[in-house]
Amino acid sequence: MLQTVSGSRAVGETQLAAYRCMVRARLLDDKFAALYRAGKIHGGVFLGRGQEALSAAIGVSLNKTDVFAPLIRDAAGRLAFGEPIIDAVRTYMGSALGPMRGRDGNVHRGRPQEGYLPMISHLGAMISVVNGVLFARRMKGITGIVGAACLGEGATSTGAFHEALNQAAVEKLPLVLVVANNQFAYSTPTSRQFACANLADRAAGYGVESHSLDATDFSACMDTIGHAVARARAGHGPQLVVANLLRLCGHGEHDDAGYISPEQKNSSLGRDCLKVAEEFLLNKKLADAAQLAVWRSEAIREIEEAVAQAQREPTPDPYEEKWSALSSEHLNELREES
Amino acid sequence: MPQISIIMPQLGESIAEAAIINFLVKPGDQVEGGQDLIEVETNKATMTVTAPCGGRIESFSAQLNESYAVGDVLGKIEATKEEAARFGLDVPAPTKSCDPETVTNQPRNGTGSRVEPTIRGLPVPANASGASYMSPRLKARMHELGLSAADLAGIAGSGAAGRVTVEDFEKFMANLETQKLTKASSMRVAVADAMRRSWTRPIATVGLPVQIDAVLAHRKTCDPKPGPALYALRALAVALAENSAVAGRLVGCNIVHPSAIDVGFAVEAEDGVLVPVLRGADKKPLKELVLRYNELVELARQRKLPADATGGSVATVTNFGTFGLIWATPIPLPEQTIVLGLGAGRKMPHWDEAKGQFVPVMEAYLTLSFDHRVLDGGAAGRLLLRISDLMRHPEKL
Amino acid sequence: MSITYLEAIREAQAHALRDDPRVFIYGQDVGAFGGAFKATKNLQKEFPGRVIDAPISEDAIIGLAVGTAIEGMRPIIEMQFADFSTVAFNQIVNQASTLFWRTNVPCPITVRLPFGGTSGSGPFHSQCLEAIYAHYPGLVVLTPATVEDAYSMLLAAVALDDPVIFCEHKFLYYHLKAEKLPSEALPIGKARIAREGRDLTIVTYSAMVHEALAAADELATEGWQVEVVDLRSIKPLDTDTVVASVARTGRLLCVGEAWPWGGVTAEVIARVSAESYGLLDAPPQRLNAKDTPVPYHPNLWAAHRPTARSVAAAARKLIRF
Repeated sequence: MLQTVSGSRAVGETQLAAYRCMVRARLLDDKFAALYRAGKIHGGVFLGRGQEALSAAIGVSLNKTDVFAPLIRDAAGRLAFGEPIIDAVRTYMGSALGPMRGRDGNVHRGRPQEGYLPMISHLGAMISVVNGVLFARRMKGITGIVGAACLGEGATSTGAFHEALNQAAVEKLPLVLVVANNQFAYSTPTSRQFACANLADRAAGYGVESHSLDATDFSACMDTIGHAVARARAGHGPQLVVANLLRLCGHGEHDDAGYISPEQKNSSLGRDCLKVAEEFLLNKKLADAAQLAVWRSEAIREIEEAVAQAQREPTPDPYEEKWSALSSEHLNELREES
Repeated sequence: MPQISIIMPQLGESIAEAAIINFLVKPGDQVEGGQDLIEVETNKATMTVTAPCGGRIESFSAQLNESYAVGDVLGKIEATKEEAARFGLDVPAPTKSCDPETVTNQPRNGTGSRVEPTIRGLPVPANASGASYMSPRLKARMHELGLSAADLAGIAGSGAAGRVTVEDFEKFMANLETQKLTKASSMRVAVADAMRRSWTRPIATVGLPVQIDAVLAHRKTCDPKPGPALYALRALAVALAENSAVAGRLVGCNIVHPSAIDVGFAVEAEDGVLVPVLRGADKKPLKELVLRYNELVELARQRKLPADATGGSVATVTNFGTFGLIWATPIPLPEQTIVLGLGAGRKMPHWDEAKGQFVPVMEAYLTLSFDHRVLDGGAAGRLLLRISDLMRHPEKL
Repeated sequence: MSITYLEAIREAQAHALRDDPRVFIYGQDVGAFGGAFKATKNLQKEFPGRVIDAPISEDAIIGLAVGTAIEGMRPIIEMQFADFSTVAFNQIVNQASTLFWRTNVPCPITVRLPFGGTSGSGPFHSQCLEAIYAHYPGLVVLTPATVEDAYSMLLAAVALDDPVIFCEHKFLYYHLKAEKLPSEALPIGKARIAREGRDLTIVTYSAMVHEALAAADELATEGWQVEVVDLRSIKPLDTDTVVASVARTGRLLCVGEAWPWGGVTAEVIARVSAESYGLLDAPPQRLNAKDTPVPYHPNLWAAHRPTARSVAAAARKLIRF
């Protein structure tokens, strides 16, 4: 993928790359929302509207040889890390050819041996897995690696988060934990989630470095995330990034988010990071309106082609399915339940 | 003075034993409660065994460098009664820690509730006695060998409530091998099966002597001569035509009525019985039945009965008089409700009221065995009476 | 020269570390201290950098193990007590056991659980959790009952590409000894006939195998020959060997130290009843611990779980049916 090299031209290219992932992610999310309302998607649909800048920044800051454990609102980050858009579409639409082969769905997807870890639903649980990948690489003598794990502010309440961050600190692993504080964990506001004034303050308790960030600000995301990743890669141990934004959608598409107040939506926290990014690019003359429009229409076409393709593909066949969970074939207890 | 044991204490998680590495006191020494007495070594650490109470070391039974298990007695302390009481040692302690038998069989302080193992009594089914309760395994074995419960009647079961266990069964079968065995013919097996199935019903028998002088006289006037059983058969057919319900079959709460008065008759064939059938025996007079009857008897004896000549009959007649038997309780075919038996004719004294004396008559017993679910004694008796009447006027048959 | 069950486990780990550079050990107190039960004594010294102390974070311990497995390592995780593995339950049953099924990437972790009761260990240092883990697809659950099996099955577990829950019985650690380590063994997934018989089959595993053998001795003096089947692995469970034994004896008693509800004993009986009903000359029975947490006091503990005496009583009842 893209290397983080110093130099403003390279930085500009990185910013453009990140923006393009944001646009694709936003349009992809819109597409999934539409397909959901059309009854074409089984199960939950989880969008990352409002979080694209933060997520894309992580994806472009990592190398392809790094490790990434995104969560449910990281479509942009996944694309930026190199996920082919067809993977996302196939997984959501139930094509047997997707990376999870129908055995898991929607955002529960990844390619573990490419450093792209598929989440399990239990929040906080992926962080220690990232730790393990980093730990193993170090044991094998591989250096210069960073592992990034995404979570929401709600996940910081879990024991798994605590254990994993502590473990990473004790082991001095190059872990970048990015907490997207979008103010709500499903319907639960932050006042019911934690009592400290700033989540970033927790870092001191673990003995790790922290960074705070306005995640609606595109360039701040790029700078802060890039900086945190560089710190980790340079051996300064785990980095806790707490990024503030507002969730601009429901917890899932089944949720109308009526608990988010208009005041919050109208505050600066409620800015759309995509618009902010566009303004930034236009102001910095990194792109013009025509270019943005071209990228947008390219993204739309890319998505529509992927959806059309996935819809033509076969769905999993229960009769062809190998109904066994062990890789050791000879140990499978194949007992037919009639 | 009480002697208090010095016991190897619990030394830690999963430690089973320890080795004596040093005695810190010797027999005769005066010690205080809690004082270190012996140094022991486990595979984790060195620890000490302390005095259970104050007193005089009476002796050590443990030896240097030897290993002893947790709970073993290492020595004795002689203590005053007061000292022993102060440390709560005057009540005898269990000699081994956690021996379940000691615990469960000798409860302390008189709270004698026994601790039962976590298993409930095995359920012995209500009908688990003799051969009537068959475990799944027994059933499977019997099915494999083509046996039925009737075949097991001779086995005394050693299982709970006298049930026949598979071991009993296998012993029985093995024992059979030591005895003379001949193969039962397929005829024998078929009859056995039929009789066993028939016997699943409550069968009862009623009997009536009938004077057969008229029949015997009538026979002499015919050519060819009809067998006596044919007279009984024809009489039965006529009686059934008048009231066929007595030959109906009970299936659940329905009576299945005969559709035609086809009557069979038993013919002894080699190692068994065949039952040829006279179709529509109510529709033809006796004279017209004779040839066919004789033909069927001959075919049966030679075991050359065609398929359409057997089966489908609604009642059967059996003449055991030919064996010299005067009386018997036949068993109806499993698909039939009644069977009429005819015994041998004998010269019997019969009281003649008009003459005021006994006169000789030829008498034979008719017995009717029936499925008591369908008929009661009264109906059975009435049927017999009707047959008897008919047989006393053979010229009308 | 004799070797204990625990020493066999240590030997197996040393063997694994020596033969395969992908193997490492991670758990609480496993490093210099050698582990709470000394199962890793001296291994850190012999294999520097490969026997690593973890914080008290069972969830993160297993999560880390899964991460290393994704990278091709073969971690051996020592849980200090099986009872504490429930803190890692989510990672074991949702992360480790689903990885291969979801992604086709194997998860070759071995989780060693010191399990089972010893006198005085109480409710939270005595649990038997093999049935809970066996319930989840994607896990292999092993319960060696002998010194030899503790050694060879642990080696086999590390070599397996699937996550293994390796249940080591604490009571057997120091109480069970053997002359030497084996050079060959029955494969994982096969049960062992620990004692041949013809009047009754006792199917059991781990420490209960020894109680069953003692019960069989007792019954032998009364003229009964009891066959004892040591399951060795709970999942996969060797139904064939169990059924073959019931075919010989017609009577089945399953004994387990765990609680009755949904335990291994229930599973064995369900299989035999469903698949081989016609082999049973008597209703199949099971004997388990009482349905309460494991008590602390030795008097209570001794009555809580099956013993040779209670196994013999149950066997006698079944023989008399």
